[in-house]
Amino acid sequence: MNGLGKKVLSPILLIAGILMMIIALVLDFSGAETTLRGPMLIIGAVLFFVGLYLFPTLRYHRAIVYFIFLFPLLFTFAVTVIIPLILGIGYSFTDWTGIRYTQVVGFANYTAMFKDPAFIWSVLITFLFVALNMILVNLVGFLLALLCTSGLRGGGFFRASYFLPNLIGGIVLGYIWQFVFSNVLIGLTGNISMISQTKSALFAIIVVYIWQYAGYIMLIYITGLTQIPGDVLEAAKIDGASPVQTLFQVKIPMIASTITICTFLTLTSAFKQFDVNMALTNGTGSVPNFLGNYLSNGTQMLALNIYNTAISKNNYALGQAKAVLFFIILAIVSLIQVRMSNKKEVEL
Amino acid sequence: MKKKLLGTLLAATLVTSLVACGSAETTTGADTSADTTAAESQAPAADADTSADSAASGQSIRLVNGKIEVDEMLKEAAAKYQEETGVEVIIESMGGGIDIQGTLKGYYQADNMPDIFVNGGDTDFANWTGQLVDMSDQPWVSDTDAAYKDADGKVIGFPYTTEAIGLAYNADILEKAGIDPAGLTSPAAMQEAFETLDSKKDELGLTAVIGYCAEATNLYWSSGNHLFGIYEDGGLSRDDTTYFDLLSDGGQIDTERFLEYAKMIQLFNQYSDPALLVSGTYDQQILGFASGQYAFVTQGSWIGATMTSDDAEQYAAAGNFKVGMAPYAFLDGIDTIMTNSPSWWAVYDNDNKDASLAFLNWLAGDEGQKILVKKAGFISPFKSCSFVADDPFAETITEYTAAGKTSAWHWLGNKEGLAQNALGVVYQDYASGAIADPQSFTDIVAQVCAQYYGQ
Amino acid sequence: MGEGRQVGKGVRIRGAICTVIGIVIAIYVLFPFYLVVLNAFKAQTSIVESPVSLAGAKFTQLLTNLSSVVNNSNFNFWYAFATSAVVTIVSLVLLALLGSMAAWVISRNHKTKWATAIYMVFIASMIIPFQVVMLPLISTFRDVGKFLGISMLQSIPGIVFAYLGFGGAMTVFILTGFIKGIPYDLEEAAAIDGCSPEGTFFRIILPLLTPVITTVTILNGMWIWNDYLLPSLMLGQNGKVKTLPVAVQAFVGSYVKQWDLILTAALLAILPMIILFLIAQKQIMKGMIEGAVKG
Repeated sequence: MNGLGKKVLSPILLIAGILMMIIALVLDFSGAETTLRGPMLIIGAVLFFVGLYLFPTLRYHRAIVYFIFLFPLLFTFAVTVIIPLILGIGYSFTDWTGIRYTQVVGFANYTAMFKDPAFIWSVLITFLFVALNMILVNLVGFLLALLCTSGLRGGGFFRASYFLPNLIGGIVLGYIWQFVFSNVLIGLTGNISMISQTKSALFAIIVVYIWQYAGYIMLIYITGLTQIPGDVLEAAKIDGASPVQTLFQVKIPMIASTITICTFLTLTSAFKQFDVNMALTNGTGSVPNFLGNYLSNGTQMLALNIYNTAISKNNYALGQAKAVLFFIILAIVSLIQVRMSNKKEVEL
Repeated sequence: MKKKLLGTLLAATLVTSLVACGSAETTTGADTSADTTAAESQAPAADADTSADSAASGQSIRLVNGKIEVDEMLKEAAAKYQEETGVEVIIESMGGGIDIQGTLKGYYQADNMPDIFVNGGDTDFANWTGQLVDMSDQPWVSDTDAAYKDADGKVIGFPYTTEAIGLAYNADILEKAGIDPAGLTSPAAMQEAFETLDSKKDELGLTAVIGYCAEATNLYWSSGNHLFGIYEDGGLSRDDTTYFDLLSDGGQIDTERFLEYAKMIQLFNQYSDPALLVSGTYDQQILGFASGQYAFVTQGSWIGATMTSDDAEQYAAAGNFKVGMAPYAFLDGIDTIMTNSPSWWAVYDNDNKDASLAFLNWLAGDEGQKILVKKAGFISPFKSCSFVADDPFAETITEYTAAGKTSAWHWLGNKEGLAQNALGVVYQDYASGAIADPQSFTDIVAQVCAQYYGQ
Repeated sequence: MGEGRQVGKGVRIRGAICTVIGIVIAIYVLFPFYLVVLNAFKAQTSIVESPVSLAGAKFTQLLTNLSSVVNNSNFNFWYAFATSAVVTIVSLVLLALLGSMAAWVISRNHKTKWATAIYMVFIASMIIPFQVVMLPLISTFRDVGKFLGISMLQSIPGIVFAYLGFGGAMTVFILTGFIKGIPYDLEEAAAIDGCSPEGTFFRIILPLLTPVITTVTILNGMWIWNDYLLPSLMLGQNGKVKTLPVAVQAFVGSYVKQWDLILTAALLAILPMIILFLIAQKQIMKGMIEGAVKG
């Protein structure tokens, strides 16, 4: 019964599914006005897959299952990542308006962005921000980890509270801090909020970033520190090593791989910083004289600059070209990371 | 087990189709996606001769409003309209801090265009060339001078109010200090008035002479658009676009004129409330003026609505004082304030356009004007309108208009994002002292504009 | 004896110092949260007058603020909350299910060229920043939506689809690493017993994946719940369908800086995450660590 049912059902479903998909596609191409074509296509595809699944074969059954299992995720992945990536790289060489393009302009977008001092400034402060954050977040995170593993009471509570800011989304967090800077700390800074002056605003962004991220990095360091075998520390103690010596000569070398992980984690996430930047200052801030120009986007990081170029200034092609450059920078960073972590593994 | 699996897959089919239906429902809700409007449009198409009203009953149109302070009143008008005609009007209000044109472009991208939406001027309208309904044949067009016309003279923008930009003052305080506002038509007179007020601050109960705020993240539109607009149009006749044209031509500034203007801004910097000047907020600024702490405020007539609603308590405590507007007299003899429709409503050319036009017609008529003028405090741009707004600034605007002492404003046509991405920060720097004197301010504004227009 | 007491005392003093430092830092870290909670109990005027002190904080004011936020038609809190919840939950379930299915296929075929290629593409795609695909993504989705007659933008299914695409790579990466560690013998034994491959997966492999699926779900959940840029681009900054971060931005971004309402809205937005954290603290922290170490 089962076998017979499958033999009949499978071809019916397959044919019905294919037919529905074809009809839906024909309707699409002919531009017919019917709301049913979308659901029809989906139902057709599902019927097709059910039919395929029930296809009476023992030899290919495994292959069919593999296909059905892989397809959904690969399909969404292709539509949301691969196709836009390829299109995006292509668009960066055209005069794309976000809707259509009329001509290919070659490298014009790329040369244009390097002639724009505001963009160069964005790139520079992004690098500065990333470098400072990488150092500070790791330092603070590591010190917090040492503190939490130093046998203080209620370690669990401290761990949880230091980690807490990491749970909050950047937009909400940015507004909370805007309140802190403009309404609470303004008493200390004398009528001028920290976030309205470029230098102090950059400092403010770093403070907020550390506040948000150090707890997370701390957790990873704690894991690294607690994985150091107890007998190694015991041996160091017997050898008469001071706590400082133990720290620098035993603990830090032992968690080298953790340090690599944390460094790159902070590196990539600091590069992509967007939400807090947008909610806190929206990129404003003045730079009196940069390459002979007065700039108004003193606190605008690269990610926000890209967004602003495309959405606010309505220059999609230029924004896309900047995004491609951003991609290249991140790709290089990631390649270095892979190189370095491979090396570390060999050493270990 | 296989049966179980089959069951699961069939269930999945069911779920998927439900999801698909769900998505179809969502689009119906959004009302603007091509397919649903197409489906809906079949109804009016079938009986094209019936009036838009009856064909459209049960229909809904969406209006994107750029004045969040009148959100409630517009919703009230919409409710009234639905009561009368059955057409639902969804009001979607966006505040000044939101980049409205950016959002609209996002809507366009997302296939979610509203049926009626706000446009600020040439730059905004240029975004939608060819996609807006020509309203030249609408009955209200002959009733107003404030409709927005495109280069070919076609009416594509519906004016909904009149606003004025001038140096708003607290008439009671000026009177107490012995200053005649009518005489404030020269830099010297302004300087003198400011000094007098400053010396009598304590007895007049003032915190500062003027409430001027140059904060750049949230209030860039005040400094970078409105105040900068004073340089562009202050004192000129309504059709004079000399300085706007100069700016449009590669971002040039008349430095001689601007320097005088910069001196006036310097005066504001000097006499503004330090707690407001660099890092204040709009609310703080209006509240300070409404509660009688500032004799002047650098906001236009739209603050009247806030003073009589949100800040009504403090305004009453300050004696519901009389207000007026003085010219921003940065040159001798400037005696005009600037008036205009701050923005216009345009109708998107889609299948809902008849319903949208019908709604605008209704708004221009008695029923609509009653709510817009009496409730929202709009100053009607329509000649036939018999309602007078309770707005504190209505009187002064009427006086200036009657005396022919108004200039238009053209900052709406400045290059997109100029205030937000460039000028706001310069004003903030000037206020905080990072830019020290009028000459440097002039130089930097000239440089920034040239750079922004050059991009 | 005396010396032993000395040492004990030293350790205790050190512990006490550490605890004090710990408390000071905790106060700094929690201070903004305190401000949010405190000021949600206040009216606008007392917030502006004294943002730090308890003066003016009233329980009735909290209720007033809550009702004005929840009833604000531009914020539409419950609707945004429900949208965020549906988007997050549906995305997480589908990511876990489809992700494990794909990861299982990849790890069971890891010697074949096609599986290796797919795996490498997934891994390589993890370095792609969202910015480089966001603009063409919107136009692609618009075109696909128009073509199919299913709205991909401005719709919940569309955004779930996007999260499947963006979350897929990391999910598959972590899951594949885990599945490779499951001995193949288990499946072979099942196959000999006459169990079909899909049956083996659902009955034997999937239950074994629970711990790693938890990790993946926590990582994806934190990301999707808090994500702003993707929904703001796909749904519009103030569109019909809003997730919570988009709604907060739309509400706060209007120039009426009413801190009483903004901070109450912020409180409402962060509360679900904090409650969840209090309930599942250990799993969340563990999941975040594993995600970092493996990613």
